Amino acid sequence: MAPVLIIGCGNPLRCDDGMAWRVAEALSLRQLPPEVKIMVQHQLTPELAVPVSQAQAVIFLDAACEGRPGELRREAVSPGPAAAAFSHEFSPAALLGLARELYGRSPEACAITLCGACFDHGEGLSVEVQAGLPQVVAMVLEQVQSALPAREEREYR
Amino acid sequence: MANNRTIVIDPVTRIEGHSKITLHLDDKGEVVDARFHVTQFRGFEKLCEGRPFSEMPSLMARICGICPVSHLIASAKACDALLAVRIPPAADKLRRIFNMAQIVQSHALSVFHLSSPDLVLGMDADPAKSNLWGVFEKDPQLARDGIRLRQFGQQIIERLGGKRIHPAWVVPGGVSEPLSQADRDAILYSIPEALQIAVRTISWFKQVTGSFREEIAAFGNFPSLFLGTVKEDGSIAFYDGKLRIGDATATLVADGLSPARYFDYLGEKVESWSYLKSAYYKPKGYPDGMYRVGPLARLNVADRCGTERADQELAEFKELQRAAILSSFHYHQARLIELLYCIERMEQLLTDPEILSKHVRAVAEPNAQEGVGASEAPRGTLFHHYKIDDHGLVRWANLIIATGQNNLAMNRSVLQVARHFVRGDKLEPGMLNRVEAVIRTYDPCLSCSTHAAGQMALRVQLVAPSGEIVDEVARP
Repeated sequence: MAPVLIIGCGNPLRCDDGMAWRVAEALSLRQLPPEVKIMVQHQLTPELAVPVSQAQAVIFLDAACEGRPGELRREAVSPGPAAAAFSHEFSPAALLGLARELYGRSPEACAITLCGACFDHGEGLSVEVQAGLPQVVAMVLEQVQSALPAREEREYR
Repeated sequence: MANNRTIVIDPVTRIEGHSKITLHLDDKGEVVDARFHVTQFRGFEKLCEGRPFSEMPSLMARICGICPVSHLIASAKACDALLAVRIPPAADKLRRIFNMAQIVQSHALSVFHLSSPDLVLGMDADPAKSNLWGVFEKDPQLARDGIRLRQFGQQIIERLGGKRIHPAWVVPGGVSEPLSQADRDAILYSIPEALQIAVRTISWFKQVTGSFREEIAAFGNFPSLFLGTVKEDGSIAFYDGKLRIGDATATLVADGLSPARYFDYLGEKVESWSYLKSAYYKPKGYPDGMYRVGPLARLNVADRCGTERADQELAEFKELQRAAILSSFHYHQARLIELLYCIERMEQLLTDPEILSKHVRAVAEPNAQEGVGASEAPRGTLFHHYKIDDHGLVRWANLIIATGQNNLAMNRSVLQVARHFVRGDKLEPGMLNRVEAVIRTYDPCLSCSTHAAGQMALRVQLVAPSGEIVDEVARP
């Protein structure tokens, strides 16, 4: 069965930008089904188009810099064109678009973001992001369950 | 008053790091001078003072997100010298594989991601389309090949080092973990596909070069020295060996040089207009001691590669000119030949039974207060030199990075390209792109070479002798 791919993105040395790394750590301690694959990246790169094209669903995790600190959002992501000329600015939509363009397939995808308060140098999280981590984990697990509808009801929490 | 002007290209795009180019024109609109300015600064040499020497490999790997493995290896070799140990044979082989995986992924990045827009879409392509995405549309198979080759190198780094960026697996005295049979088998399984892609890409490149005769003639096509590492038998070396310097006539100027004594024959000069130092060969002085490093230099000074397919390609490559291959445009092909060699050589090393040995680290206290580590990074020869005190704390560090060693040649190349292609006082996109493209042939890594933290981009300015900036083009 094609995997459900969780791609966390951010820099763990820039405070709240490392949110996805913390969530990935928390998820790795859960009894997740074997089809669930977790990857954490400093940035999205073209190479990810290969596993993305092979996934049945992709969940992107990232810290947002616009909004109220601690604000949690989930948005569907559709394949799109590359907005930037350089690969340092590679969006989830562009990654899905690349997967479809080069490998003929882009899966269902959503982006879960938690708005950060501090992106300075450092490994600590702000109070708002630290407090929001359990909600992010819960939302990811909910998304995973909805991506695996054929399986018998299981509780991953 | 003479109507002299300067053109500024800022930022330079599709390179690693931040830079700009200034072109100085005379009153007839002819280019009289050109400079490649590196505008970022990081200062790792100072930053590491006072830190324990054992931290150096991990700390120095942070210099760069593209070639952390190169710094890890050169740094660990400098620490090996401080320990005065001989590392276990399996660790030596594993480090070699690690280094070559890094070269594969970095060369793939340079050829497929950074330079392929010029090669696939042409130097005069619409700047809005002349990028990776344009290549994906025009030649999806080439794009898939580039993605796969880069992924191949990164996956080897991840299997050996635990992660693809900033792995800390290479340590003073060897490596921290042996290679498992499962990982060895997985890497070996992926090699035939990687080989196939490398061969296919070289074949494609040789076909497209016919469209770039003018660029070959004007892209850094001048005599210089070339420096690279070779084994005792004269074949190409990436991890260890002696340094060899050849000239434009393919005559050896120096051979058997000890990398640990680099300061005897290599110097560095600081210019006020760039954070990037310029290295030169001391016996010829500055700037006459200009030399080039990296794929073109390595293939110019090596007698052979040492693997079957790469040697076939090298023999054909050396036929391009009767003596040394001078045009920097040929860096691209040299890069692909090295990539092919690294894949072939990794297969040889991985099938050596010793590669699975559990003995991969020699442990010792410091036995020397000064150590030099040198290796071949993707862009050229890399030196790390540390001095420590009685407590093992670093008191002095010097890094000589490939891009700095190419600095004089890059500046001269920009001047040559500008003189050939720039006319008048208005910048055209194709001209601007060629000025940038010649820099891309060297695949400069500016974060590494300034030991700095940075962004990336390039800018071109048109400047008069009065200092007036007449025209300026910047790319976001």
